[in-house]
Amino acid sequence: MSAASVRAEAKRLLALSLEGGVVSSELVGAVLAALTKSRSAHQLRPLLRAYLTNVRRELARGEARIEHAGPLSSADADAIAAHFSKALGRPVRPVARRNDALLAGFRVRVADDVTDLSAALRLANLAKSLS
Amino acid sequence: MTFLSLVLAAETVHAEKAHESVWPIVGSFGVDGPHLLVQLVNFAILAFILHRFAIKPALGQMEERNRLIEKGLADAQAATQRLAEAQKASDAKLNAASDEAAKILADARNAAKAAVEAAKAEATAAQTEVIAKAKAAIEADRVKMMNEVRGEVSRLVVETAAKVLEQNLDDATRGRLNEAAVKQLAR
Repeated sequence: MSAASVRAEAKRLLALSLEGGVVSSELVGAVLAALTKSRSAHQLRPLLRAYLTNVRRELARGEARIEHAGPLSSADADAIAAHFSKALGRPVRPVARRNDALLAGFRVRVADDVTDLSAALRLANLAKSLS
Repeated sequence: MTFLSLVLAAETVHAEKAHESVWPIVGSFGVDGPHLLVQLVNFAILAFILHRFAIKPALGQMEERNRLIEKGLADAQAATQRLAEAQKASDAKLNAASDEAAKILADARNAAKAAVEAAKAEATAAQTEVIAKAKAAIEADRVKMMNEVRGEVSRLVVETAAKVLEQNLDDATRGRLNEAAVKQLAR
């Protein structure tokens, strides 16, 4: 299989794995089971790699990865996720992780978009403007 | 009978006649008339022969010699004149050559002067360019150093501020700041 056909096949498999626009673990399991039966090993490896990349990307699209300094209440995390769900037009769930290197505030990553409201970024911007 | 014998005979007759009138007086002086006459005739013949065969050719040769001498003199004079003209032409050419040499020398001097001036101007321009480049390089280095110092100072300030914040911010304060950030995001 060519790289382009592998990408197209992986995209089709990802579409089969979505339920209501969200990656479903059951559907992913079914797709994997069908693949292992229908494809030979040398065909399966690149296809599974591309499928995994697509699934990860799709999962990242549905997650708001929140890095925060200090405590962040679940209500605040939900408020952040709700903000991005509204802005992106799809359901986004919060995944919080503490990172005190940010000094204060938080940084949110949804897929490839990053929103940084941390004190570390402000200090970095300050340093950049002063130099 | 020769002409001389006829003359002698005629002279003899004539002498006999004259003898009677003049010759007695002449004879008294020891002059023999017929003999004198013969002498005169001989002299005349000799003079004629000499004139015809000696003097005349000699005069012709002398005239030819004179002509040749005059021609030689004229040629010498012409040669002298030509020599003077040649000398004059040579002097003129020498003067022209001297003038030309002076002109070439003056041109060479002018060209050398112009070349020196051009080299001076070029050197001055190069010097000015080098000075300008050096000034620009110094200014660029100064600006670069100032930027580096400014950047270093900024980095130190920010690092210090970060450390101070990290040490002094407690969880309560961070929590309040997080809530404020959430509100800022909602706006």
